[in-house]
Amino acid sequence: MSTTALLEDTKLGPKAGGLYRHQNFLTGILTGGVAMFLGWLVAHYTVQNNANWGSDMVVTVTMAAWVVGFMAGIGAFNAVFRWMVGHDQDHDDELYAAGVSQGWRRYFKFCTDHKVVGTQYLVLVMSLFAVGGTLAMIIRTQLISPNNHLISPQTYNAVISIHGMIMIIATIIMVSGPWANFILPIQLGAKDMAFPRLNALSLWLVVAAVPPILISLFIGGVDSGWTTYAPLSVQSPPGQDAFAITIITFVVSVTVAGINTITTTMTMRAKGMTMGRLPIFVWGSLVAAGLGLYAMPAFLAAQSMLLTDRVVGTSFFAPAQGGAGWLYENIFWIMGHPEVYVILIPGVAAAMDVASTFSRKPLFGYKIAVGAFFGLGALALMVWAHHMFTTGWAPNLADPWMLTTELISIPTGVFFLVIIGTLWRGSIWTRLPMYWVYLFLWNFIIGGVTGIYLSDVPADQYFHGNMFVTAHFHYTLLGGGMIGATAALCYWFPKMSGKMLNERIGKLAFWVIAIFFQVTYFGMFWEGFQGMPRRIAAYAPYFHSANLIATIGAYGLFLGWVILLYAIIHSWMNGKVAPSNPWQAKSLEWHISSPPPLENFLVDPIVTSDPYTFGEGEPMAPAKQPSPATVGSTEGGAH
Amino acid sequence: MSVVDEHSSHEHHGHYAEGGNHHDTPQAKHRKEHMLLWMLIGGDMVFTALIIFAWFYLKALNVEGMWRGAACKPNFNAGLNQSCTDGIGNAINHIVPTAAPLHTFAIAILAIVGAGFMWFAEVQARQGASGKATTPLLGLGALAILGALVWQIYQFQVLPFTTVQGAYASSFEYIMGSNVGHLALVSIVAVGLFIRGSKGLHDNGRWYQIHLSRLFAVWVAFSVTLLAFMVTFFN
Ligand code: HEM
Ligand SMILES: [Cu+2]
Repeated sequence: MSTTALLEDTKLGPKAGGLYRHQNFLTGILTGGVAMFLGWLVAHYTVQNNANWGSDMVVTVTMAAWVVGFMAGIGAFNAVFRWMVGHDQDHDDELYAAGVSQGWRRYFKFCTDHKVVGTQYLVLVMSLFAVGGTLAMIIRTQLISPNNHLISPQTYNAVISIHGMIMIIATIIMVSGPWANFILPIQLGAKDMAFPRLNALSLWLVVAAVPPILISLFIGGVDSGWTTYAPLSVQSPPGQDAFAITIITFVVSVTVAGINTITTTMTMRAKGMTMGRLPIFVWGSLVAAGLGLYAMPAFLAAQSMLLTDRVVGTSFFAPAQGGAGWLYENIFWIMGHPEVYVILIPGVAAAMDVASTFSRKPLFGYKIAVGAFFGLGALALMVWAHHMFTTGWAPNLADPWMLTTELISIPTGVFFLVIIGTLWRGSIWTRLPMYWVYLFLWNFIIGGVTGIYLSDVPADQYFHGNMFVTAHFHYTLLGGGMIGATAALCYWFPKMSGKMLNERIGKLAFWVIAIFFQVTYFGMFWEGFQGMPRRIAAYAPYFHSANLIATIGAYGLFLGWVILLYAIIHSWMNGKVAPSNPWQAKSLEWHISSPPPLENFLVDPIVTSDPYTFGEGEPMAPAKQPSPATVGSTEGGAH
Repeated sequence: MSVVDEHSSHEHHGHYAEGGNHHDTPQAKHRKEHMLLWMLIGGDMVFTALIIFAWFYLKALNVEGMWRGAACKPNFNAGLNQSCTDGIGNAINHIVPTAAPLHTFAIAILAIVGAGFMWFAEVQARQGASGKATTPLLGLGALAILGALVWQIYQFQVLPFTTVQGAYASSFEYIMGSNVGHLALVSIVAVGLFIRGSKGLHDNGRWYQIHLSRLFAVWVAFSVTLLAFMVTFFN
């Protein structure tokens, strides 16, 4: 411990860090605010006589100025500037940037330590879920009766759009943010990410991206859903401009983060950590990061073209001037379909590792699982137009799109087989993380099977645009991806916080979430079959009871997450101190203290086997059933 | 997972303990940054491909005959009272003229020249040339790139159309905007290289930053040129 203690308490020179010494979250907000004001002033005085697009221009410039100002104020550009003038950061500067001797303050700074960034991401993601979840409660409350007047139809549109996009942003980073930053480098045996400064950059870019999308709610909002289909979105109120700035900023963040994850995995593995020995979570993060690199440029193209259509009058999407709505839809879904796997895959991969650890068995079909990730990634590039079956675009291609989409169920089916094969005759230790794996299996089978209904072109003519789609993607994204992410949270929480997560409260939260999730979303399939459209603020009385049930379910679901949040905060503050390896797991992060010291490993680790060597002389969990070996010899007699 | 601790000579091969990234071996650092750059370029290739897709898609569809604004149609953004104008009072009732290739290609050539100087500097440095020898080359490279950037901004002033005149005009100006962004990035890198060179930071065989910057500059020059051909010969 001594070297580490030394490192973290290093006395730095009085000038170490340079400008960083004076920069933090607050200076970021201040600088951002000033930049915002200046941007507003300039935009207002240069374009105010142009009544057509004046306000769009003003909003766009103001929001962009906020992002740049905030990033400058927190210190994101310091190193670039110093590189340019040939005044590189020295050793002390980098130690300062890594948070040495700043205590809790480093959590509010442009800190390059991957564990600080991971923790910041976790808090950020939970805050985003809190906002998105609150908007969901508003939606469900509006829908509690057929003709409710809680909010106006315009506000309703804005609320569902912003709810959708905030949730998409949060879910894209819910695993890659906290866990691919905190845990992944340790699993590789590395001291940090490959590019610590880019790591901090990716985090703070998301922070900078949040205010514009929230502000957009108050300047007319967005009325075309999270997909912001053109040409309707070309005519939306100025909220759409702020929304686009959020997306563009977020695109940069995800791109930078993805590059960092891939480079770290490819170049920073410890001695002996071959690709074949990577925990499956690393493979999942790798594939998701790669898919993100492909998807994000399309997000940038879609939203920036939309922005120029709105702000300077180009006509990419406005048909009267030579634009095409189909162009938007194509570019959007070239992004959108890969993006749902960016969300899903890391959560599934984490669930696989949890399944292996708690059934005390090697992951079943490790290589097949890796292959399925890559297969799903490749297929993801070839299915985007299944979102456009009803638009009349390229009807001759409908059959090929249907076929590729149906093929998706093969890799997703493999995910199931891998997890179930891992559990099969394992000596299962049912702790909290494992609960979520079961829930994942339950929800994701429903989400996946209903996807096949949607891939069927004739069936989709009916289901498209109705509640069936809403139910499908909540079962996959929330029920699959986010529940997988929750398994990851409960699994790695002790490593991150150094405290055990309170299992009694955690299990209570689990049951509330598991049950009310079904209450909320299952009925939406029925609503879809009966033809209730999605994205509407009022509906036929026929659907009243189904919606009432869904609303009650949603309140319960919200409550469940609040209970989990309570468990997290409570345990973080007063939880039992966590040992270094509470689950007796095998991957590298469990070989070091909880929480790990600044550079993770006191000595460079050398890896001699894969992370799934259960039952080979290492400590075992209390086994309720015979070990796998025994089971194998008493075929069928385990119970 | 079995792990052996290496309790040998090097007690603490710290990332930060030895100065973080900054003190990685040059090779390790080079390898990481190389990957970074190629992935960045890969993402940018997707973006460029989408711009090309949008161009040919809109050209082929020619919605309402408005690829190059042959028809007079109400301005979608402006509301009906401003129909058939370009938003600043001029009627759209003609075929939109195409942009002069002179400007488009001058910018591309400057970008190529700039990248060329950087490449030349890299070759020299790899052959052991001192910072004194390579810095002027880097200076010329930076000048050329800055020239391309300024010219690209200037081209907005001399276009025979505005953004509201149909899909050709829109896509053309969008590409110009994308060029401005890319050239600005390369300018930052090129100017930085020049300043660093003049401070002697490329001496003693430290050529790899020139190499990395050159890679990016070459890619940007290539994409600018590719798009220049597209907008000039396929409009
Ligand atoms: C067996 C696998 C799957 C198949 C065959 C499938 C198929 C489809 C199809 C055809 C649609 C378009 C429906 C329409 O708009 O008419 C759709 C929508 C959607 N799917 Fe899936 N899906 C599958 C799995 C997933 C997964 C794993 C996720 C995410 C983790 C996902 C997320 C979504 C989302 C977000 C939408 C709706 C987007 C929107 O219109 O707002 N799907 N799916
Ligand atoms: Cu899809």
